[in-house]
Amino acid sequence: MKLIYQIILRVSVALVVLLTAWAAFFYFALQTEINDEVDDALDNYSDMIIMQVLAGEKTLSSGDGSNNSYQIREVTREYAESRSAISYTDAKIYIPQLQDTEPARILKTIFPNDEGTYFELTVATPSFEKEDLRRAILNWIVVLYFSLLLIIIGINAWAFYRSMRPLYTLLHWLDDYTVGGENIPLKNDTKISEFKKLNDAAIRYAGRAEQLFDQQKQFIGNASHEIQTPLAVCQNRLEWLTDNTELTEEQLVEVLKTRQTIDYIVRLNKSLLFLSKIDNGQFTDNVPVDVNELLEKQLALYKDIYGYRNIKVEVQERSRLTVRMNESLATALVTNLLKNAYVHNVDNGYIRIEIDASQIIFCNSAVAGALDGERIFDRFYQGSKKKGSTGLGLAIVKAIGNHYGIAVAYRYFEGEHRFILSWEKVLD
Amino acid sequence: MKILIVEDEPSLRELMQKTLEKERYIVEIASTYGQALQKIEDYSYDCILLDIMLPDGSGLDLLDQFKASGKEGNVIIISARDSIEDKVSGLDLGADDYLAKPFHLAELSARIKSVMRRSRGSGENVIRLGNVTVSPDKFQVSVNDAEVPLLRKEYDILYYFILRPGHLVDKSVLAEAVWGDHIDQADNFDFIYAQMKNLRKKLRDAGADIEIKSVYGFGYKLVVTE
Repeated sequence: MKLIYQIILRVSVALVVLLTAWAAFFYFALQTEINDEVDDALDNYSDMIIMQVLAGEKTLSSGDGSNNSYQIREVTREYAESRSAISYTDAKIYIPQLQDTEPARILKTIFPNDEGTYFELTVATPSFEKEDLRRAILNWIVVLYFSLLLIIIGINAWAFYRSMRPLYTLLHWLDDYTVGGENIPLKNDTKISEFKKLNDAAIRYAGRAEQLFDQQKQFIGNASHEIQTPLAVCQNRLEWLTDNTELTEEQLVEVLKTRQTIDYIVRLNKSLLFLSKIDNGQFTDNVPVDVNELLEKQLALYKDIYGYRNIKVEVQERSRLTVRMNESLATALVTNLLKNAYVHNVDNGYIRIEIDASQIIFCNSAVAGALDGERIFDRFYQGSKKKGSTGLGLAIVKAIGNHYGIAVAYRYFEGEHRFILSWEKVLD
Repeated sequence: MKILIVEDEPSLRELMQKTLEKERYIVEIASTYGQALQKIEDYSYDCILLDIMLPDGSGLDLLDQFKASGKEGNVIIISARDSIEDKVSGLDLGADDYLAKPFHLAELSARIKSVMRRSRGSGENVIRLGNVTVSPDKFQVSVNDAEVPLLRKEYDILYYFILRPGHLVDKSVLAEAVWGDHIDQADNFDFIYAQMKNLRKKLRDAGADIEIKSVYGFGYKLVVTE
């Protein structure tokens, strides 16, 4: 979710709560104020009627144009004492002048005359329609809410984007940044101290990552080199032992197994060195490579080696594919994918290689389901451990791909692994 | 045959010396640039095994000096840096071969034999072992001067073994040498066995007195049968 949406959402929710509370408060305040005024008028009116009644004057008829009405009835002393002296209620009454029932404010008061007889006076005056008031307030609150919201969002968005511009510049730069790649320097002038700090931190950490990356690259290279000589010594001592001494079968088998393990380390080491050389861009002499021809040559070798597994190989050549590459890298690219297709295949399975003008696809029948497309190109990632496999083959493929800008992708489709090398971007 | 080993790693140097002495070479050693330079100036050698990275200088400079002195002799560069630039500059300076560490001792002696044979001139470029003769230029094999027709891979295998008689060669090493660098994950070596069977049969039928013996299912060894 984008930050601006988050802000807008929160502002909207807060506004809904605030405006609802405010509307309720406003409604009750208004109602109290109106009732207060009406009650005052009713008081005056009832006082006047009571005085007139007590004085024995003829009371006003209810037709005085004010829609007010009153009635007086005699009540018992007990009733009078059980009631409060004055009470206000809301009710609907029929107003003959309007020939309609209207909401009204009603005042009831009890008063005695000189003879000690109690009377109850009920005075009614039409008041406001509460439903109307509520609806009116609701309508205006809704209007207010949306206009407020629009204005607030507008101002927020404007202020947000104006003041967050350096953040977006920085984010864009970080998105484009690749450690060990060619990066443009960060250009992000700002007066805001937070952003300045953020810029400094980003540059500092990018530099640190760059440094670590170089160190790591160098370390792998150096370590692999330094290991070569001791490995040579181990290998050769065991070779000396097998060639020049009389060993029992048991001893010889142990020595030979150790030799094989050392050979494996040697291979691993070579692959790591190869990878670090690719990453360091040490393969420079590019020549046109005929991929079809290269594939044909390598296939002949692999058919020999994996002949016993009875894997059917089909090559669909829709076009010639010629690319500019270093020859040994091109060979490593093709052989690693070919080897992969053979090693991770079922007996009696198939391999299908499709070549067209800008891409080559290696398809093979899968042993199990889809591989983890995110991780198979990682160094030493092996879905299932294969004896003698270094776990670097696909990492080498990826590294070569990165070096030349070849898109390397993995797909799984109906029991089939597909590795796609596409030169589309390179050839354009 | 006199060989000079220029290598600063004592353990490796000792092993190389032991191996080559066993093959009846006269071996001298040098562990520094200074020592090596002195030996090269004072004596002459049929072959110099030259490590590039020496504590007090570069083997490539040594090679330069050696070539400038106009002395005869083959040079094989031995380096832990398996880089193309080193290889190219080494060969440009006149080295006869380039061997990357780590290497098998059998490989080392095969390379020495190979460069020495090449430098002996075009007169007699053949390898003889027992009654078997291999002519690398013509890819021909003969037993008692009668040619034995071999298929490509059979020839490659025989050529590999005849340069390494008596050495136990691991199947995976053989596969890599004959089928290529990228054959490193094969878990079944039946393809070698099939070729080997044919090669042995052809040698036996021709009456060769050499035999490629299988060693406990791990590898093979070329021996001369009396």
